[in-house]
Amino acid sequence: MAAKRNSARIAIVIPAYNEAESIAQVIREVQHVFGSSAYTYTIVVVDDGSKDATAQLALDAGVHVIRHIINIGSGGATATGLSYAQQHGYTMAATLDADGQHHAEDVLKGVRLMGKGKHDLLIGSRLVVNAGMSRTKRLGNKGLSFITYLLFGVNTTDSQSGLRIFSTRALDKLKWKTSGYEFCSEMLWRAKQQKLDIGEYPVQAIYTDYSKAKGQNNWNAFNIVKSLVRRRIVEIIGE
Amino acid sequence: MSRYLILLLLNTPFILAGLLNALVNYKLKKVSSRKFVYQLSMWIIIFAGLALVKPIYQFLFSNHLTQTEPLSLFDVAEITGIVAVIFISSRSRSKIEVLERRIQDLHQELSIRLSEGGSDESGKK
Repeated sequence: MAAKRNSARIAIVIPAYNEAESIAQVIREVQHVFGSSAYTYTIVVVDDGSKDATAQLALDAGVHVIRHIINIGSGGATATGLSYAQQHGYTMAATLDADGQHHAEDVLKGVRLMGKGKHDLLIGSRLVVNAGMSRTKRLGNKGLSFITYLLFGVNTTDSQSGLRIFSTRALDKLKWKTSGYEFCSEMLWRAKQQKLDIGEYPVQAIYTDYSKAKGQNNWNAFNIVKSLVRRRIVEIIGE
Repeated sequence: MSRYLILLLLNTPFILAGLLNALVNYKLKKVSSRKFVYQLSMWIIIFAGLALVKPIYQFLFSNHLTQTEPLSLFDVAEITGIVAVIFISSRSRSKIEVLERRIQDLHQELSIRLSEGGSDESGKK
């Protein structure tokens, strides 16, 4: 007898830039975890103009690949992946980092939580259980979450997490303007403006030498803050 | 002709053009009402400032808040230059924002459509 299928169609979006070293492993893990679940899913890798073999490796792994002609930034790549999900009628979407810092089980956990219908946007928070995260990274992430709260009034423990789950309503309504890493905070702000319900759940991040090297430099936090402040001022003046 | 009048005559075209741009962009729904109000206020304040240069200077001078000379022709040229730069930068900023948004949308749509020409069904379970 065939296993009972879940009616939800899920797009698992992986924005990637020069991630040849980890992308195949990340895809394999997601395929393994979701393959044994009851969900119908599609993995969408958005190659953000990588100079290495990221796109080819993703194609070889048998997933859908969207290639950006030029590098736009993490926010732009995520927007493209979610736009694809929205255009193709997916009922839910999940994003995760391509550097392998997220467990596929945590993505599935988020999808199941989203399936309960309480939230429109779920953030996998790395700061509830922050084992393995360096003190400076922890400080940087907490600082950015605090600034996100000050600027936009959205209170989350990990505003910069790349693991996020989106409901159909969020896919239809969420649009943001920044294309770099600052989109993480801006997305929360837009969700609040659209009256979407934002929730959090704890996830365990994997910190390998590779993911540590690929992760955001703490100095980049200044660029993020600068961009967020500018975005806030522009919004006060009006678009 | 009074230097104050020259200053006003030289700058009025920029102010009128700025006001007209703001109004047209608002009517064409290219900008929000908030930005329209901001632009309108900005140009009205600039106009009021230029129209009231003489009484403002006299007030400051009589209250010993400034010791500078009255408006010179060089001042007129300088102020006109500043207003022109504000006008040009305001227009450029609006155009750049629209272009930036269009390029992003175009790039996003192009990438999705190109990807659909290839492995549309791959990865589906």
